[in-house]
Amino acid sequence: MAAATLPAWLALQPAARTLRAFCTAVSPATRSAIPSPRTAGRTSRYERPLRRKALPPRTEKMTVDLDWPSVYPVAAPFKPSAVPLPVRMGYPVKRGVPMAKEGNLELLKIPNFLHLTPVAIKKHCEALKDFCTEWPAALDSDEKCEKHFPIEIDTADYVSAGPSIRNPKARVVTLRVKLSSLNLDDHAKKKLIKLVGERYCKTTDVLTIRTDRCPLKRQNYDYAIYLLTVLYHESWKTEEWEKEKTEADMEEYIWKNSPSEKNILETLLQIKAAEKNLEVNKEELLGTKEVEDYKKCVVSLKNEGDNEETLSQYKESVKKLLKLM
Amino acid sequence: MAAVASGLYVGVRCRLCLTLTGQWTGLCGKAPSRFYSGSATLPKIEGANVTGIEEVVIPKKKTWDKVAVLQALASTVNRDSTAAPYAFQDDPYLIPTSSVESRSFLLAKKSGENAAKFIINSHPKYFQKDTAEPHIPCLMPEYFEPQIEGISEAALKERIKLKKVRASVDMFDQLLQAGTTVSLETSNSLLDLLCYYGDQEPSADNHFQQSEKSEELEEAIEENNEKSKKAGHQFGVTWRAKNNAERIFALMPEKNSHSYCTMIRGMVKHRALVQALNLYTELLNNRLHADVYTFNALIEATALSMNEKLEDKWNKILELLKEMAAQKVKPNLQTFNTILKCLRRFYSFGRLPALQTFREMKAIGIEPSLATYHYIIQLFYQHENPSKGSSLIIYDIMNELKGKKFSPKDPDDDMFFQSAMRVCSVLRDLELAYQVHGLLNTGDNWKFIGPDHRRNFYYSKFFSLLCLMEQIDVTLKWYKDLIPSVFFPRSQTLIDLLQALDVANRLEVIPEIWKDSKEYGHGFRDALKEEILMLMARDRHPPELQVAFADCAADIRSTYESQDARQTAPDWPANALNYIAVLFLRGGRIQEAWKMLGLFRKHNKIPGNELLDEFMDSAKASNNPAQAIEIVKLASAFSLPVCEGLAQRVMADFAISQEQKEALRDLTSLTSDSDSDSDSDIGEGK
Repeated sequence: MAAATLPAWLALQPAARTLRAFCTAVSPATRSAIPSPRTAGRTSRYERPLRRKALPPRTEKMTVDLDWPSVYPVAAPFKPSAVPLPVRMGYPVKRGVPMAKEGNLELLKIPNFLHLTPVAIKKHCEALKDFCTEWPAALDSDEKCEKHFPIEIDTADYVSAGPSIRNPKARVVTLRVKLSSLNLDDHAKKKLIKLVGERYCKTTDVLTIRTDRCPLKRQNYDYAIYLLTVLYHESWKTEEWEKEKTEADMEEYIWKNSPSEKNILETLLQIKAAEKNLEVNKEELLGTKEVEDYKKCVVSLKNEGDNEETLSQYKESVKKLLKLM
Repeated sequence: MAAVASGLYVGVRCRLCLTLTGQWTGLCGKAPSRFYSGSATLPKIEGANVTGIEEVVIPKKKTWDKVAVLQALASTVNRDSTAAPYAFQDDPYLIPTSSVESRSFLLAKKSGENAAKFIINSHPKYFQKDTAEPHIPCLMPEYFEPQIEGISEAALKERIKLKKVRASVDMFDQLLQAGTTVSLETSNSLLDLLCYYGDQEPSADNHFQQSEKSEELEEAIEENNEKSKKAGHQFGVTWRAKNNAERIFALMPEKNSHSYCTMIRGMVKHRALVQALNLYTELLNNRLHADVYTFNALIEATALSMNEKLEDKWNKILELLKEMAAQKVKPNLQTFNTILKCLRRFYSFGRLPALQTFREMKAIGIEPSLATYHYIIQLFYQHENPSKGSSLIIYDIMNELKGKKFSPKDPDDDMFFQSAMRVCSVLRDLELAYQVHGLLNTGDNWKFIGPDHRRNFYYSKFFSLLCLMEQIDVTLKWYKDLIPSVFFPRSQTLIDLLQALDVANRLEVIPEIWKDSKEYGHGFRDALKEEILMLMARDRHPPELQVAFADCAADIRSTYESQDARQTAPDWPANALNYIAVLFLRGGRIQEAWKMLGLFRKHNKIPGNELLDEFMDSAKASNNPAQAIEIVKLASAFSLPVCEGLAQRVMADFAISQEQKEALRDLTSLTSDSDSDSDSDIGEGK
């Protein structure tokens, strides 16, 4: 039989290990071992050897209850002969339907997740459970995690197919910490916020430090921790020149020694003078309830900005103060 | 980091949290291949409120090796029984359809790789750029030319390392002429090189074809001797007398045991057996000790030597073993395997010594490998003659091997499963076959199935045994599982399956089997086609089944026709014509059936009597007297004795005109005349 002789023939010509052997073995280009492949040349009608026919697709042999994760165990391109779904994709011609899956480039271009069906994911998770340790029992709520572990570090790893496993984006390290969990007094907090500038978010009270200046992730991590340390210590120190803090440097409006205080004092003094009430005491004036109220409204107006509430409160307090009501 | 082969970028976020106490404990949810520098200390945050925090116990980090995660994920998937082996492109056009094709595809792939490697190594200066991180040394070009010029021992060492036989011998001679002495070690390594290659240059093409070549020869011999598992490859003596190795050996001023040993081993490898034994006596005379590998070679030499009787050989081997013990050389696995391999030649005389050897091996504590068991099986089941009463040792062997996992220790390890399955097939024992198959699927033992042809043999025998002995449903399940993803069936295997279907009365599966046979390239095997047709045509079946059979028959007919077209002398077997015609008739394809009748005359084949009867029935059913007369004409043309009976039937059953009756009588008279002329007995017998 031809099938038996072919391998022996191949074997007995060890020099023909390269392309030559394989060429002549497959040259009839027919799928079956025809008993007389060489007679193809003799008859005049069928001189060309028969074209190789494609097998029917694998989907015909697939039963309904087969193990799908075994067909697509890893991420693989879309194989129309292996996926038994009648998917269609593509913009249809006029009065046509989208193209079928055979030879459809659109289906090949998009990423598919045939290897990550819910069944497969469940199996993977089961297998990966052995690699995990238990979550500490004491950390059963978010607040407790915050309390015990206030610093959060974010890093990213990148995986791709290619000759190199390095990716420069993987060196970035982001450190996040809430300032409320750090031990800072008022001055230290303000100084820290001034030092870090944009990295502090007022609404969430989170300081974010993102480092990527070193080539390695480990080094960036060390640098971020170092920065946090240095910031903390520096913010507790008070330098000589900090005494020269002007009003323009102030973060929030302070009533004491402000022009508004002086103005209101002057106004009140003028009122008192008009009423021929000469014995006035500045502290007493300032200590009255209306002035306190006025002070509160001005502070809130300056700090929080203009909105309906603050403006109306200011109006009320001014009215009360100037006894216009 | 696990590199998943995909074109996607997958980012994984890791949350690392620190405690307030200043200790480094990392809670990592992924492989801890990174660790952070312990030198960066976290300062104590003053005022930290340590009291009142409850105890947070962080569990110890687990560690695993680099591929553990991948292996865990791999354990969740099984083999896909509809897919071809992963080495092939998964496309209906590119999947191989027979074992010849699959072999040639794999060879093509490998030859491409070899060609690429060859180009890279011939022009290394164009392939210096290295983008791989971390560095992959095996993808860089290799240097096969010696770099060190000049005459020196270092140059000689380099040439030995690069396996340049001729160049190193020349260098050695030059060194001697120049007067420098070559150190013992270097001379020994030169001797090693020469003895290993038998003083011939290793194959110049490249270093990856050497092993293939010898494997090819081995396989050719294996295939020729497939049924009878005779031992050994006869290389023929390739050790020339007075070759370079002997010359250099003689030139060496001092020889230690390593030199003698390597010479002996080289001689045995290249079948210079007598010289090897002589050299051994010389070694003993010089009061040197041989090592275990040399003893293994000597045992082989003793067994292969031609002119002695078996008992003498065995005694000599025993003597060698005694000397080995005297020289305090511990035997290893190879020693025992060599003894068993040589015992195979001793036929039945070798059974008792084999068992003794095996017990000795166990007693010393050497773990036998699969090759050991293979040799034992060979010895005990050498001639396939179950009537003689086979030994039951295979059962003992399988009991012992149950559940064991093996690692490769001997080059012949991969022959075990083939011989075991052969024995199962001879003994017709399905349970044993299941045991063997179970052993194959334990752990990593699947690696021992061997090259293609051995795997095909194993599975062919296994499947044939299943067809023979197992229930049909289970057999069909195995069929779907194994074919074609594990092996391509031979036509004999398919015929066995068909017979099993016949026995179990499941003939409706036959059209499917025919479709599969066409796919695997058996569409032109006459034996298979005739078997299929015979099974389909033998009995009458319910109508839908009959239609399916008729379609199948049409398909088979088209294969005959295409075969026809390619041959100058078309040749349809008579049986095939008969069966196809019958199937067409029963399946309701009357027109085509009548066309088949025409083919009988064309190919000059005689239709069977039952066939003609059936045609007559169908003519009657369609009430067509012309057709009936056709039949009679055909019968008379072939001078069939049944012609007269047919004619009478026509006259009785059909309403025919007078001329037709006349014509009929003429025909019958012609036949009866010719019958009585040629052979009166047949006419009378009718």
